[in-house]
Amino acid sequence: MAVVDINPGVPSAPSSSLPAAIQADGIGIKYSLRFTKKTTLQRSFINLFRHEPADDFWALRDVTFKLVHGESLAVIGPNGAGKSTLLQVLAGIIAPSEGTVEVNGLISSLLTLGAGFDQDLTGRENIRLAGAFLGLQGPDMAQRTPGIIEFADLGPFIDAPLRTYSSGMRARLGFSIATSVDPDILLLDEVLATGDETFRAKSKARVVELVRQAKGVVFVTHDMNWVTEFCNRAILLQKGRIVAEGDPAEVVAIHKENSRRAKAEREAALAAALASSGGGVLPPDAVGSKLLR
Amino acid sequence: MSVTAEAPAQYRAAAIRPGPLGLLREAALEIWNRRRLIGYLVQADVRKKGADTLLGNLWWVIDPLLQMAVYVVLVSVIFQRDKPDYPIFIFAAILPWKWFQTSVYDGITSVTGAGSLIRQVQFPKLVLPVASSLAAVVNFAFGLIPLTALILLLFPHRLSWTLLLIPLIGVVQFFFNVAMAIGLGALNVFFRDIGNVARHAMRLWFYLSPGLYALSDLQAATEKLPVPLIRHMLLWNPFAILFSAYRNVIYEGIGPDWGALGALLVASLILLALATLLFKRAEPAFAKVL
Repeated sequence: MAVVDINPGVPSAPSSSLPAAIQADGIGIKYSLRFTKKTTLQRSFINLFRHEPADDFWALRDVTFKLVHGESLAVIGPNGAGKSTLLQVLAGIIAPSEGTVEVNGLISSLLTLGAGFDQDLTGRENIRLAGAFLGLQGPDMAQRTPGIIEFADLGPFIDAPLRTYSSGMRARLGFSIATSVDPDILLLDEVLATGDETFRAKSKARVVELVRQAKGVVFVTHDMNWVTEFCNRAILLQKGRIVAEGDPAEVVAIHKENSRRAKAEREAALAAALASSGGGVLPPDAVGSKLLR
Repeated sequence: MSVTAEAPAQYRAAAIRPGPLGLLREAALEIWNRRRLIGYLVQADVRKKGADTLLGNLWWVIDPLLQMAVYVVLVSVIFQRDKPDYPIFIFAAILPWKWFQTSVYDGITSVTGAGSLIRQVQFPKLVLPVASSLAAVVNFAFGLIPLTALILLLFPHRLSWTLLLIPLIGVVQFFFNVAMAIGLGALNVFFRDIGNVARHAMRLWFYLSPGLYALSDLQAATEKLPVPLIRHMLLWNPFAILFSAYRNVIYEGIGPDWGALGALLVASLILLALATLLFKRAEPAFAKVL
């Protein structure tokens, strides 16, 4: 596969001679709102006969980027920009509606740590099950289990059912599993905020170690200090499109500026609406546009 | 530092998907490569079902016996029907039906129940209904214990070598069960009322199948139907064939109707292929809808 640097302005990553770990070419993710959550037979029959214009929503559009091994890429942006959807595409969980994603290397993708655990199984059994879900072989997983248990630091709880765990314990176990399987590419969605102070420090050290081992890491985070401190590169997503890419400090600055401006616009719109209605009840369209923002 | 994996380390995801034969091949490979995962899921399922109750997995033995008792009271005491050794007659139908019921109900929720996992890990979703169907086999196998006990203790004159043919009929039913579980599991992701519909459809299905009564009763009752198609549908209903086969080997002590059983096997395999295709076609949308 030819490595084409789609972004010459980006500071070069440690090992740019290797094939790209992730190559995304113009990916788009379309959600058909016709088949959204919990459709009932009644609703879909109605939809079938109504022939409404297709309610399509593009969560991502024209997203093109490359991640080389050893690079840590931060994906930032306002809520609902498509950050988590992007991680789902990279993990192979959602197939792109258009464009292609090419991934070279084992991906570890416990995106929201601990959410997929089986509440009735013990921590140890969940480790085994998670390994099987991630596609690791039995002996290999058995060999890693002591390390995972040690890092999660759950004490005797490791043999207790997961429903007895606190959310912090669950997150710790999830993080330990996700990072202990020696992924070539690690996808993390806002996970560094979980756990107590000690564990947060420990997990930061773990991620830095992975980056040092020339593993690719993609973060979704709202912690801008983390972005400027540990990432080689950042992508700013807005409404499903990449609006800025490059040096973390610069992208973070653009993001801060954009958020500030968006906030100011919202406040101005709200103030104008309040003024026009004479300080009374908000006109419905003003409320609507605020909600849509 | 190399990782041995059952999942591909390299992949290319695009909007284009393989054709029907490619999808079936992919499905077979996925099941084979992930057999260990399926094993864990079956283990977890079996353990969990026994975990919350006082008697645990003992319920798998008690449950069919109680259900049998209900029907025996209803039919022999209230309706005053007299069939020799009716408990065995009815047990031969309850056992496979309970298996089918478990398979269908657990299959329906197998995919939707794993929603949070599907949203964060990439794995072949086909393992979910397959694992739930396999876990249901354990349920059926446990039911054979009270059956054997019942025959040995109360009806020893019904003991016959044909009991050994049960697993053979079981294989045919298994393919039918899995096909239903896979198909309904996929549909339930998009239409959450499949479970409600299924509960009533299943009840009707049981009463229309020769479970509480004999196949000959069904034949006699449908002889004068104005529309012959209904009669054919009832007589060629999979559970008309399966109940008769089980009853032949358990109650009558004779071999099953091999021709009908063979036809059902072929039909089940075709249904399995179609259900798998439906599942594989719908699979990419699961993470979006769940």
